[in-house]
Amino acid sequence: MMELFALALSAVLINNVVLSKFLGLCPFLGVSKSSKNAIGMGLAVIFVIFGASLITYALYHLVLVPAEIEYMQLITFILVIATFVQFIEMFIKKYSPALYKSLGIYLPLITTNCVVLYVAQDNITQNYDLIETIVNSIAVPAGFMLVLYLFSCLRERLDSADTPKAWKGNPIALVVAALMALAFSAFAGIV
Amino acid sequence: MWNNFKNGFIKENPVFGLYLGMCSSLAISTSLNNAIGMGACVTLVLIASNVIVSAIRKITPDEIRIPVYIVVIASLVTVVEMVVHAFMPELYTSLGVFLGLIVVNCIILGRAEAFASKNGIVASAVDGLGMGLGYTFALLLISITREFLSTAGLHFYNPFNSEQLLFGFTIEALEPYTISLFSASVGAFLTFACFAAIFAILRNRSSKKEAK
Amino acid sequence: MNILYGMLFIIALGSVYVLGYYFNHKTPKPKGCENMTAACEGCHVTSCDNNPQNEYKEKENV
Repeated sequence: MMELFALALSAVLINNVVLSKFLGLCPFLGVSKSSKNAIGMGLAVIFVIFGASLITYALYHLVLVPAEIEYMQLITFILVIATFVQFIEMFIKKYSPALYKSLGIYLPLITTNCVVLYVAQDNITQNYDLIETIVNSIAVPAGFMLVLYLFSCLRERLDSADTPKAWKGNPIALVVAALMALAFSAFAGIV
Repeated sequence: MWNNFKNGFIKENPVFGLYLGMCSSLAISTSLNNAIGMGACVTLVLIASNVIVSAIRKITPDEIRIPVYIVVIASLVTVVEMVVHAFMPELYTSLGVFLGLIVVNCIILGRAEAFASKNGIVASAVDGLGMGLGYTFALLLISITREFLSTAGLHFYNPFNSEQLLFGFTIEALEPYTISLFSASVGAFLTFACFAAIFAILRNRSSKKEAK
Repeated sequence: MNILYGMLFIIALGSVYVLGYYFNHKTPKPKGCENMTAACEGCHVTSCDNNPQNEYKEKENV
């Protein structure tokens, strides 16, 4: 139990997927203009990563390993993720307009989100068992959501700040990200 | 065509201008070695995917072109990953997961969509080369800055044989003053932000000139 | 034999993806959401409905 907690804590705070692994930066800069967007995107990412990781984990151990085609891992995983996103989007469109309003519009952004592919591959390369896979694939996107939300709150104020012209927009946002990375690096001591 | 090629470097630099492929450019820019290896891989995949997408652009049904592109790109990346694994094991370990993540690098899908699907094979190949070199150029800038500031030197090893140093130096007088911050993630974000601002100034200047 | 299995598997997955993509894009968006976008400027993939620079990019490449 303790190990699982440590795994989750390190995925959320210490090895944060955005600030220390530099993944998911496109949506990090793209969707963080408002905190409402950040929460919607974050929840959609958690949901997709959780589902896609379970499917890729099952496919890897039930199909790729028995058939000895592990080298097809990359192409299998990206296809599974892309397919999963399409079906989820279709399902939500059909049956839950309310959910579509809050989460659905972010789904198209997730296919090319590197965090999803990263978590799917990470579960395999780290030799996680099923429980660890589940914990990891919730904790990593939760870390993404946390940072995305914090960043969007900072950014709402940043837009009204008077920055030099060349730094306007993304450059100054990246400086903020650097300071956040510095703050998060202090968590390294807790586990 | 020459203009297309040139645009990839400063005005429409995929990394500093359009903010594409940022994940990999921040993560693997700790050393010159990684930057050159990653740049070469991305350029190769980009040229190949542009050529293939352009070659099949007339027979690809419009509704399902994105899935087709993703399958093409994923296959190419798998091939590149296997080649690197077989011949450059050191590079394979140091690039790690980022080699596979070339699949979801927006530069490649973006160029396939915006350029290769509308233009001829030769033009697409040149566009791929230009964008790929622009990406490599950005990686080089970041990695040279970071490696120099954090180790006071630059080193480039033969990718096929990691023992053999092809090029490298260390300024011993500066060694006590290295800033280890730049090898950590903070340094990556800061370096990137500075270059992005410099490129914004350059872009503003050139668009002012054109206006005149 | 292995390679054959691999190819079959990938082709099967690919066709499921293509079908999913096709049907998803045929499914209409629910009422009131037709013009909703996330205003994401993250990547420049122009086929994405959320890309605000959609038209701008199209013009540039003509």
